[in-house]
Amino acid sequence: MAVTAQDIDIGRTGSAGSGGEAANEDPALAALFKAYVVCATVWLLFGTAVGLLLAFKFGAPDFWAAKYLTFGRLRPIHTNDVFYGFASLGLVGTALYVTARSCGTRLYSTRLAWIGLWLFNIAALAGTIALDLGYNWGDLEYREWPWPIRLVFFIALLVTVWNLLATIARRSSHDIYLSNWYIIGGFLWTCVICLVAILPWYQKGLGQVAISGYFMHNAVGMWFTPLALGLFYYAIPKVLNRPIYSYALGVLAFWTNLIFYPMLGGHHFLFSPLPWWLQTTAIICSVGMLIPVLGGSANYLLTMRGRYHGRIESYPLAFLFIGVLGYLIGSTQGTVEALRSLQAMWHFTSFTVGHSHLTMYGFVTFAVWGGIYALLPLATGKNPGRLGVAMHFWLALVGVTIYVVALSIGGSIQGLDWIRGLPFIQSVMDMKPYYLWRGVGGILMFLSHIVFAWNVWRMTAGQPGNAPSPIMEPEGEVAA
Amino acid sequence: MQNMLMGPMWGIIAVATVVGLVTLACFIAMFRYLTHPGEHNPDHPKYSILRRDR
Repeated sequence: MAVTAQDIDIGRTGSAGSGGEAANEDPALAALFKAYVVCATVWLLFGTAVGLLLAFKFGAPDFWAAKYLTFGRLRPIHTNDVFYGFASLGLVGTALYVTARSCGTRLYSTRLAWIGLWLFNIAALAGTIALDLGYNWGDLEYREWPWPIRLVFFIALLVTVWNLLATIARRSSHDIYLSNWYIIGGFLWTCVICLVAILPWYQKGLGQVAISGYFMHNAVGMWFTPLALGLFYYAIPKVLNRPIYSYALGVLAFWTNLIFYPMLGGHHFLFSPLPWWLQTTAIICSVGMLIPVLGGSANYLLTMRGRYHGRIESYPLAFLFIGVLGYLIGSTQGTVEALRSLQAMWHFTSFTVGHSHLTMYGFVTFAVWGGIYALLPLATGKNPGRLGVAMHFWLALVGVTIYVVALSIGGSIQGLDWIRGLPFIQSVMDMKPYYLWRGVGGILMFLSHIVFAWNVWRMTAGQPGNAPSPIMEPEGEVAA
Repeated sequence: MQNMLMGPMWGIIAVATVVGLVTLACFIAMFRYLTHPGEHNPDHPKYSILRRDR
């Protein structure tokens, strides 16, 4: 049996002429979405400017070596700002929009959403200032902010998830659309993770190591990943005007992500004093993650099948496509890295930095951009310029490719140097050209962010551009 | 090398069997949904989401 476009009455989700329907129907939601995107963009520019400075400190460690600009202070500022400033605000903003629209209702409380935005921003700003002044919680990756600031972030999460749950509760449809499973799952899991990470009895000894692995990896896999995947399940069908290939596969990926992800953080501490069984469990769960990753990626790619030309005509789709590839390649690479034989070579090397940029940038950041380019014009009625979006796409893609390839090769050489027992300084010298290429990639990525900021301006407050509608024309037959 | 930390053999076998069966079942379900996505009902949420949101 074939389901046709006529059967399901699609093709009225938005077009060049009908952009801004959300702005007309729900101006409060459109204003909120704009504010989240603008704030996320500011944090992206700031956080990656710091990252670029850090990249060049590898080649010139004495450059701007004043106390407030040392590597030790700037590095956590970079990671925390792009995590909790840019990516979190971008994903929360799109989550609020997706939830309200897919539930066919208005947000439960616009005021709560604004309060959440203020709290997220206050946490990110206070965290940045604290870290630069030297108030660092220690060697706890991605939770370097002093705990009172992390508490503010936690309250922001609670406020937002309450708002989302109440919105879903008043939905007009019988079912809860798949995107909302991922969004709510991501919020609830992250509340648990943040709470566990703040408990005082896990702040020392081996418990601290175990919880550090638990938090640092779950902050990625149980916060950014479900929100980005939920965004995919809404934005890809919307842009293509075609249903997701298999809804049931999306549900399976959701539950397998929940089964396997929470325990895999220990693979960052292989060969450490952590119990051997915990390390092995982490490796097994890392392999199990192939199920949601391969199944989920195949689901997205099969949804796009036969519309390859669309990735040229529709830039949101191009961003979403790269995001899916980033998810597939980065997460599969993560599974491979978790194996003891390979971890022995890559642990502590720059390879891991390349991996984290492949996932957080190639997957999450491209997903955020794809979601914004797909949905923000529908909310505001303003499209970006075609040239601006093209420049953003290619600068970011070429930049991150150079970055990841350079650090993957350099990191492998670094690891082999250590295995061979060469003097440490030899590995530093061997990395020199790769650090330079890392800086080149970083420059291109940062330039793309400036162009993105310009595109956001055009989609919000400035003159709209000439890019076509993010929504493609529907096909005659949408499912076989 | 860390054999003394591995625990009893039967415990390892039990854990590996359970985890292996769960993983295998998940893989089978994944391929099942990939080859037979089904979901032909026009009222299914995957179609209704494509209609005008509200």
